[in-house]
Amino acid sequence: MMSVNNGGMRTGQDTAPNGTARASWERTNTMSNPSTPTKHLKSPKPQNAITIAVSSRVLFNMDKEQQIYEQKGMEEYLKYQIEHETEPFGPGPAFPFVKALEAVNTRLRELYPESEELFDVVLMTNNHAHVGLRLINTINHHRLFIERFCMTGGNSPIGYLKAYHTNLYLSADPMKVREALEEGIAAATMFNPPEKRTEVSETQLRVAFDGDAVLFSDESERIYKAHGLDKFFEHEKAHENTLLDHGPLKGFLESLGKLQKKFYAKGQRMDCPIRTYLVTARSAASSGTRALKTLRSWGLDTDEALFLAGAPKGPMLEKIRPHIFFDDQMFHVEGAAELGTVAAHVPYGVAQKRPQKKLAVENAKDSSAAAK
Amino acid sequence: MDSMVRNPDVKQRDAAQAVVVAVSSDAIFTPEVEQVHGATEPLRKGDAFSFMKAIQVVNERLLTLNSDETLLFDVILLSNDSEEKHSRIIASAKHYGLDIGRFCFCNKEDSIESLQSNNVKLFLSTDTNDVCKALQKGVPAALLYHQTDPHHQTEDQLKVVFSGDVIGSSEEMLHGLREQGFTETQLQGFKTAKGSVKEFAILMGEMRRRFGLEGSPLCTGLMTAWSSRDVCASALKTLRGWGLLVDEAFCLAGAPRSPILNLVRPHIICLDGLYHMEGFTAMS
Repeated sequence: MMSVNNGGMRTGQDTAPNGTARASWERTNTMSNPSTPTKHLKSPKPQNAITIAVSSRVLFNMDKEQQIYEQKGMEEYLKYQIEHETEPFGPGPAFPFVKALEAVNTRLRELYPESEELFDVVLMTNNHAHVGLRLINTINHHRLFIERFCMTGGNSPIGYLKAYHTNLYLSADPMKVREALEEGIAAATMFNPPEKRTEVSETQLRVAFDGDAVLFSDESERIYKAHGLDKFFEHEKAHENTLLDHGPLKGFLESLGKLQKKFYAKGQRMDCPIRTYLVTARSAASSGTRALKTLRSWGLDTDEALFLAGAPKGPMLEKIRPHIFFDDQMFHVEGAAELGTVAAHVPYGVAQKRPQKKLAVENAKDSSAAAK
Repeated sequence: MDSMVRNPDVKQRDAAQAVVVAVSSDAIFTPEVEQVHGATEPLRKGDAFSFMKAIQVVNERLLTLNSDETLLFDVILLSNDSEEKHSRIIASAKHYGLDIGRFCFCNKEDSIESLQSNNVKLFLSTDTNDVCKALQKGVPAALLYHQTDPHHQTEDQLKVVFSGDVIGSSEEMLHGLREQGFTETQLQGFKTAKGSVKEFAILMGEMRRRFGLEGSPLCTGLMTAWSSRDVCASALKTLRGWGLLVDEAFCLAGAPRSPILNLVRPHIICLDGLYHMEGFTAMS
């Protein structure tokens, strides 16, 4: 059952009762309540935090409800949601990722108690506010630290992403993801988690990235598409000293790197709760160098770089156990999922414009499923 | 003392059943910088214009659904202007085809009394002080949201947002405000404001139910500015208990309000008391 938390009054920067009372007003944060013994923490200002916006369907499993919506319409869907208001949803594909973000926050708060450089998870959904109570009950049930949400009642949430200075947007709806990418916001589509899920760490956040068209632009991928893998390797070797242009998720890797450095500064390099991976079809022998040189020139790196020279990514990812893997090709996203890794699709670049047969089928499935 | 003029061009509503809304004349028509004697051209549109148009749409749809509908918006224009401006105001209303049932001309000091004696369900103004004063006197009042770009405000759907930080807070929490420097008068003011919000929320709930989930000309929302999600949840429950199931909900938890409000684009924001304390200009 939901409990009303008494410890939640906080100030916004522009709502103090009067000048002198402001300081004590802000301390009201920590009013305790027997049912929630943990101290209630204040959310960071959006511009200071690394904001991760998640839709309700990727944070939680709403398959059953989605089916009701598709088969019986909005009214039945909302009626069902309200009737089952006290039943929490199960975890969705982004759930382990969000839990890991919170683990990092806990460590960051220990080391830098005054800092607002934290992950801030915002629930961004175009669901109706009628589902609001069930969503909040579910957040409480799973003890997630999500204090901000936008339930836009059917309107596009894209504008709100900008208002929250969103660094990464995860959604089940590929159209919204595309829109976000067009607005310059890192975004990826998530799908039902794999049947057999690889166990992931609860204390160390692991994020894996594909290289081309994810961290880097798709310029080299065009060569690959047009002329095949060997030509791609050749071309990359020849241009290894030319920097690649940046891709949609470069900024997110950068944010992770910034947080990592905060741990290193406190002597926690070995024990860092964030670990990043580059998992690319590039080959270490030839095309890999260009990728690494580019990253270095950006002042970025990943903890591990895995050059598969075209080999399937699934097995490698199974060993790494990332909470999330970003790739621009559905082929790799599916391959990862088959072996238990939660993968997210970044619909960016040339891989999307000339869809392979498999991708076209996936698009058809997506558009029939896309509702919220 | 006020002078109440009925608008002959508008069908009079049953004031006992209608949602009587008093709107400040300065909100409907932009106050003129310089009063030109004998000027006759229509006054310029003010901040409340898109609101006026939007409630017209709601009324029309309500009547389409039921030609005998009595739960309609009934607008009283409240003016403190000098007598020479009265006819110009009436003429301007006619010029724009505004659905104003009555014009109430009175002195500023008598405004509150006029509101109280006319069973006004909501008083709207762009002036925080006026809203604040009205609320303290027990007159339900709300702020007309100042849209930075008026062209972006929709005229075919009325958007009403309720502020939930006080509605959703428990008695204990509100009690705790005493330690924060609020006076008894102010605290009483919150209680009064909460009561007023309740009345208006009940009416909005009833009106909202006349329409379906999708395609409604009336859209309702809840926003909590600094509270936790549980306070927001509590506000949702409270509103639901009053018969209002909002369409949209936003929990800001301290994030700046203007960027979000500029996207939500409400016509009016039903404040719950706390905002007035710090002059609402902080919001825009």
